[in-house]
Amino acid sequence: MKSVITLALPCDIRFTRLASQMAANTASLLASTCNADTGNWEFSHAFELAISEAFSNAVFYSTEKTASQKVTITFTLEQHRLMATIRDTNEPFSIETPEPSIENYPERGYGLMLIRTVMDTVSYIRENGENIITMSKQL
Amino acid sequence: MTITETSDGSITIVALCGTIDSSTAPELHKSPAIADTLRSVVIDLEKVDFLDSSGLGALVGTLRLKQEAKAAVLLSCMNPRVRKVFDITGTVKLFHIFDDTSAAVEYAATHNEG
Repeated sequence: MKSVITLALPCDIRFTRLASQMAANTASLLASTCNADTGNWEFSHAFELAISEAFSNAVFYSTEKTASQKVTITFTLEQHRLMATIRDTNEPFSIETPEPSIENYPERGYGLMLIRTVMDTVSYIRENGENIITMSKQL
Repeated sequence: MTITETSDGSITIVALCGTIDSSTAPELHKSPAIADTLRSVVIDLEKVDFLDSSGLGALVGTLRLKQEAKAAVLLSCMNPRVRKVFDITGTVKLFHIFDDTSAAVEYAATHNEG
């Protein structure tokens, strides 16, 4: 069975926690419906962290900062895999960014490193004026 | 996020509670002990339920500013979810991290930091 949940949030930093908690809860739901180990915090935490990073980036790089601008997050549950897609209408970008040099005590630049590490797959496409990041993880 | 400060000798314990993400991380700098770069602090993370790269960046920035002023930042009581962010990014190497706050305070006092 395939289930799809879509969340359209204002492009506003105040909604970051709502997005990340939705991700964590959706991941926990998948784990429970698959009779997987629901005590395994790493699966839900991976989505909580990845969505927090992706949503924060979408807001940080937004150019309009209007209430009408949306960030759309779609969760697709299929068998033992959860896929999350996050869309925004910001300028195009690359996810192939260099990792920060720790010795310089950087305050930014960790987000994509975290996403790539906690997810099984991460991809980016630019389509119809939207940035679309798709990430997935197997239970 | 809520911030509670407690003085223990020359060290201030800054206990954080809640979520530290892009919406809350700027609040960290409202803490007088954090803002005072000359003041050594133990940051107690026991009640932090979630931290992302924005929270991490705020802590790294605090560490850099205090180290430049010869003060210390020690971290204590991080749960596995918080610890994972430090491990993945390699920033675990930048901080002194303790399992309990009293050990961190003792270390700071012994090393006469702040």
